[in-house]
Amino acid sequence: MYDNPNLERKVAQNETKISARNVQVFYGDSQAIKDVNIEIEARTVTAFIGPSGCGKSTFLRCLNRMNDTIDICRVEGEINLDGENIYDKRVDPVQLRAKVGMVFQKPNPFPKSIYDNIAYGPRIHGLAKNKADLDEIVEKALRRGAIWNEVKDRLHAPGTGLSGGQQQRLCIARAVATEPEVLLMDEPCSALDPIATSQVEELIDELREQYAVVIVTHSMQQAARVSQKTAFFHLGNLVEYGDTGQIFTNPKDPRTESYITGRIG
Amino acid sequence: MNENQHIVSAYDRDLEGVQALIVKMGGLVETAIADCSKALELRDEDLAQQVRAGDKAIDGLLEQINEETARVIALRAPTASDLRVVLSVMKMSNNLERIGDYAKNIAKRAGVLLQMTPIDGSAGAVRRMTREVELMLKDALDAYIQRDAELAAVVIQRDKEVDQMYNALFREFLTFMMEDPRNITACMHLHFIAKNIERMGDHVTALAEQVIYVSTGKLPEEDRPKADSTPYETHGDPVAGDN
Repeated sequence: MYDNPNLERKVAQNETKISARNVQVFYGDSQAIKDVNIEIEARTVTAFIGPSGCGKSTFLRCLNRMNDTIDICRVEGEINLDGENIYDKRVDPVQLRAKVGMVFQKPNPFPKSIYDNIAYGPRIHGLAKNKADLDEIVEKALRRGAIWNEVKDRLHAPGTGLSGGQQQRLCIARAVATEPEVLLMDEPCSALDPIATSQVEELIDELREQYAVVIVTHSMQQAARVSQKTAFFHLGNLVEYGDTGQIFTNPKDPRTESYITGRIG
Repeated sequence: MNENQHIVSAYDRDLEGVQALIVKMGGLVETAIADCSKALELRDEDLAQQVRAGDKAIDGLLEQINEETARVIALRAPTASDLRVVLSVMKMSNNLERIGDYAKNIAKRAGVLLQMTPIDGSAGAVRRMTREVELMLKDALDAYIQRDAELAAVVIQRDKEVDQMYNALFREFLTFMMEDPRNITACMHLHFIAKNIERMGDHVTALAEQVIYVSTGKLPEEDRPKADSTPYETHGDPVAGDN
């Protein structure tokens, strides 16, 4: 096969941002993730796909230690961010989550103004020296979230008053306000209509210039549209990981094939 | 192809539908090849007429396949092996349509040729060549149905033989024309017929390549066999040996 001429889909460099080695996750006695090894690249959108309960969200939550908040959850193995193990005792999970931001399935703006939604993270992390600084951070984040033009005249209105799609973009803007290096998205569009979905997908593509984006999605078409790399999870295993174009035209593993073509695997 | 069924069974019916069309089209084209060859050999104008008229059905199937594949792409967004099925059907239908056109053209020339004195020995050679292409097409279609990439690879190799037969005929016709200019009209028609058959072989080869693509996800890497450069030589002395 010839090289993919679609340069837009080419990953500029294979710089590893997150590297997971032999990761196993247990909820009590049951094992949710079985020995996953994966290298997630910088400035790349990586999609995790797989049927419900396959472990893709669990694995995503390992990447910024969101599983720490679940008592019975135990993570084994090693996850390195820029070569440093994020499960090391010296790592502060709060600092980690500023570096590895997260956007959830349902938009969850704080019950505060649009401005305060964005300013919250930079404030607690002490990223702004003064009011003018903070204003600038807020504007930059809202612009990066592709929502600035829609909210610039009502920054002090409540964030919960926005439409679903706007709320989700507000949440993305909030996640980027702390200047993260990685953005995790757990089904960011499942509560949005097609237009809002397209806007968020366009935004994801723009964010790729600066961040490593990891997106969990149930929509295989969305994975195909937004990602450069795709990982297919099944029953807690990482079955196949490769270029999105390859996964969707010529997957190597029959389980991947069965899943993406909509067959009972 | 994956033997498992789709969760949405209508999707299976759609994919089976477009593939049934291509198999049907393949059958019509096989018949057209056999019949145009027979019409030529037996100097049977009725049969030639039948082939010429039959091309409409082949063109109609192409149109139907274009519509069906567009619909499957729009409604089902096929991926992986399903996508390859749809893409291969689109390409193969074009190849089959072209083969049908060549058969029709042969049938037209057969109609003209039966008003002329037969050229000795030409009928048998053309028949053998047509027969070979017809068998190649049959095998390519069987390989498609059975997803047999190995059989398809054999078909691709066999195109060499067709090319050799064409080159041999090319020389033969040239000789006839030089011997007696009154043969020129008939030989020109026969030459176009031989060329048509040779082109049919190329389209069957392209079809066999699609079989490999649909079965393995990869197109064959090596170039198609190229055997002889006879038609590109200057024939100052056309009978001066075998290249």
